[in-house]
Amino acid sequence: MLESPVLRASRHDGAILGEAFGWNVPRTYTTRETEYEAATQGFAIADRSYVGRLRINGHDAVDLLDRLSTNRLSDLEEGSVMGTVLTNNKGRIIDVILLLRKSDYLMAFTGAETRQRVADWIDFYTFAEDVTVVDETETTAMLSLLGPKAATAVKGLGDLDLHQSAEIEIGGVQAIAVRTDFSGVPGYDIVVPAASGDDVWTALVDVGAEPVGTDALDLVRIENGGLAIGAELSEDYNPLEAGLKNFISFNKGCYIGQEVVARLDTYDKVQKHLVLLSWETGEAVSVGATLYAEGKEVGKITSAAQGISGAGEGLGYIRNAQAEVGTALTTEGDVTVQVGGAVRHP
Amino acid sequence: MQAVKPAPLTISITKEAADHVRTFTKVEGSATSNLRVAVKGGGCSGMTYDLEVVEGPGENDKVISEHGVELYIDKKSYVFLAGTVLDYSGGLNGKGFVFNNPNAKTTCGCGTSFSV
Repeated sequence: MLESPVLRASRHDGAILGEAFGWNVPRTYTTRETEYEAATQGFAIADRSYVGRLRINGHDAVDLLDRLSTNRLSDLEEGSVMGTVLTNNKGRIIDVILLLRKSDYLMAFTGAETRQRVADWIDFYTFAEDVTVVDETETTAMLSLLGPKAATAVKGLGDLDLHQSAEIEIGGVQAIAVRTDFSGVPGYDIVVPAASGDDVWTALVDVGAEPVGTDALDLVRIENGGLAIGAELSEDYNPLEAGLKNFISFNKGCYIGQEVVARLDTYDKVQKHLVLLSWETGEAVSVGATLYAEGKEVGKITSAAQGISGAGEGLGYIRNAQAEVGTALTTEGDVTVQVGGAVRHP
Repeated sequence: MQAVKPAPLTISITKEAADHVRTFTKVEGSATSNLRVAVKGGGCSGMTYDLEVVEGPGENDKVISEHGVELYIDKKSYVFLAGTVLDYSGGLNGKGFVFNNPNAKTTCGCGTSFSV
């Protein structure tokens, strides 16, 4: 199991560790309720060093990635971030990556468990191009700040719009800060050398950041329709089903899977959509549960968590006819699950 | 048009395609009729074919001479092109250069992209 380079500081702040994504990560620090409040209403810090970070070097990096993924990367300006979907030739999702364009390289933020897959995918399709991929996940640390008060608490973050980046200094350490709103609330990913991770964490906690673990983070993600690899993102689904239309260019030309994605969109052939789901307090609904309408199978739950109020909250793919807000579905155990809005990514 | 059957693990060019390469390079003002034949990542199905008129071979390129034309293929592309016959389909309804690639399991609608 991999260990974050920030565990010393996390332990000092009371982290209770657990396994997630093949890493030993902080699950909680205080209580899930306190951490949830900090993340949604205050200023929170989370160690997300498990998120994949691939440095893609070479003159042909943008051109190659443009041919392998859904968005128009030629429009990606230096210092900006663009979300794009790596799809297979059937138009199914391999991963959703955020690409930061620096002056002489790209930084790809991948799913926690897909960085090797993404690196291998790029390598497989590199022929004569000047492209090399360096996995920097374990040589850097990634500290994520979230909550509405994060922007004013750290110098240099306040001016960042969504998908913009800046080079800032925290506790004397040079850092790359990227605004990604990764959990659906204002959110910034701070990347620093692994050896500086503990010091930067401590400096951020000293200016008021409240540590949050993966339990609270996952709830915030689910409530806001954030996608997780292996749950909402897998080769079982295409980007249109996942609400990722804003990550797709329909007129840039070919990329792997383009023909299928374009056909699904043009002929309105998308069969199901990712939606928010909820159920009553005390009911047991788990990830993978099948949802039914009038006895027919119409969907599947991909993420589930207990909300702060006690009620159940989740995400799931539901067939179009039942994906309307307010539709009541049932599980095999006869729990009623209400359909909320469709997930759409900015 | 006479069918050409390549020996396994070679890449061939038909006489029609070679004639067209010569015509094309002459119009372009090139002194030679050498063609880089390559595969690139991308296209709807995963990989696309790439043709480029070049002066000479690159380091470690496989060189094939046929019908007065030299073909240069890099090692990685060669893996996906072995057995391919490069043909030319002319006329109003023709497709231009056509790759008859036995490794291609699927091709996209426009025919320039394939997967293995």
